[in-house]
Amino acid sequence: MTTLTLRFKKANSSGFLGPNGAGKTTTINILTGVTKTTSGAASILGYNLAKEPVKAKEHIGVVPDTSNLYDEMTAWANIIFCAKLHGVPKEKREKRANELLELVGLYDRRNDRLGTFSRGMKKRMMIAAALVHEPEILFLDEPTTGLDVQGAREVRGLIRELNRRGTTVFLTTHYLEEADLCCQRIAIIAKGKIITQDTPEKLKLSTQVEQVIEVSFDHTKDVSDKLKRLSHVRDVVTAGDKFRLSVDDSSETLPLIFDFAKENNLKIVSINTLKPTLEDAFVKLTGLRLEVMSIEKEQMKPNRG
Amino acid sequence: MKIYFLKGPNLIFGLLLPISLFLSFSIGRSVDLAFAIPGLVAIAAFFGAGAIQAIALPLERRTGTFNLLLTAPISMFAIVLGKALAGFFFGAMLSVAYTAIMIPFSPLPNLPVFFVGIMFSSFTFSAFGMLLSAPFRDIPQAMPPATVVRIAMIFISGVFIPLVAMPTFLQVVAYALPLTYSVDSLRQAMSGSINTQMFLIDLGAQVFFSLVFLAITVWVLKKTIE
Repeated sequence: MTTLTLRFKKANSSGFLGPNGAGKTTTINILTGVTKTTSGAASILGYNLAKEPVKAKEHIGVVPDTSNLYDEMTAWANIIFCAKLHGVPKEKREKRANELLELVGLYDRRNDRLGTFSRGMKKRMMIAAALVHEPEILFLDEPTTGLDVQGAREVRGLIRELNRRGTTVFLTTHYLEEADLCCQRIAIIAKGKIITQDTPEKLKLSTQVEQVIEVSFDHTKDVSDKLKRLSHVRDVVTAGDKFRLSVDDSSETLPLIFDFAKENNLKIVSINTLKPTLEDAFVKLTGLRLEVMSIEKEQMKPNRG
Repeated sequence: MKIYFLKGPNLIFGLLLPISLFLSFSIGRSVDLAFAIPGLVAIAAFFGAGAIQAIALPLERRTGTFNLLLTAPISMFAIVLGKALAGFFFGAMLSVAYTAIMIPFSPLPNLPVFFVGIMFSSFTFSAFGMLLSAPFRDIPQAMPPATVVRIAMIFISGVFIPLVAMPTFLQVVAYALPLTYSVDSLRQAMSGSINTQMFLIDLGAQVFFSLVFLAITVWVLKKTIE
């Protein structure tokens, strides 16, 4: 890791987006006191992690990428244990455990051992355990990696709900969709360096060189040459039954397309202005192939003989 | 309890190994029980407390639960002390159990003092176990070196062979080992005539060893998270 300077707003949901091996987990480990920096300093809410680690850790909750809870203990016992670790007063512990188990939808399984839980349920339990002391900042390292579609959807919903309630969320992910859905601000990291950081929409716009209008008509005949002759249209590409028009100004071009349809007796089936996706932004900004984002951690580990 | 105490290696090293060693050195010989019982109780604490530590730290580091402790607002010393207490309880529990079994065979004139000796010994051996397991991240890595060190120590700490019967250089080594002071304190309590000064020296030495072991463990753990 090289020097990183990150600034995220309070009560925001921020993400660290990058391929596996980019340094996301290392960063989160440094910020949560699991790993020390070899040089430089890391601070949480003004508390230097090397000099005042206990003070800094009072304000954070951590959800690592693999379970940090005890499989041998019940869901309830794990939450109570975490409450004790964080010094939650005895009279508050049980109330808080009830609230959190309700929040993550595991209250009915409170007396079951964690070892019997699915990955998704364990992840929700880890989120509950991390929130037991009502931290100001919640760190989540790859919160949906290894989860099935339903499990991932539940965890993402939970993250958004927590943020809506005012918890500052900082997550790492190599899923572009997750960063787009869960984060108000994203830092893109590659090879231990921050490439850029901004809101998802601004990141997308920053890579936009031209505007695109996608239109489909009720006829399948090729009208691309005619469309090309419209003013403001720079290029037309056929994509299935649709035409993608690269234009200088979509607001000027849209009325022209409606007129064109009328003049040529064509009925418009659909018409959309296309925005660049976060994928487009990522590829453009990092210069990396999109496939690197789908390499999971397990595939990156060296073989152990 | 389930997480630490009921693990297979604990039962083997904590329960079976001390009694196996005791029987192999006692059967077929005329053994002075006042000499042998403190040795048995000391090695029960030694292996019991140590076995927990060979499991607690490396297992927690492998499963990831140690990170839960690292991210909590508690100091590394508090984490280490908490783990040391787990080993202390297991070691003390086993030693008290062995003492209860042995009482019918040999009188124990200073039972409270004997228990004091057990408590100090169990904590010292738990701290020693922490030190031996601190560099490792898995049980198979931690167990072999710890077992070799412990087995070697019991032969030069006066458990089975009196210190006076050993060569001078081994006696010097023996006084640098915590087990020697544990065995001596328990033997004094067993004998009925306690040399208070020597007993306090035994306890003081164990406190000293405990603090040194805990301090080095904290240092090693801090280094390994860098």
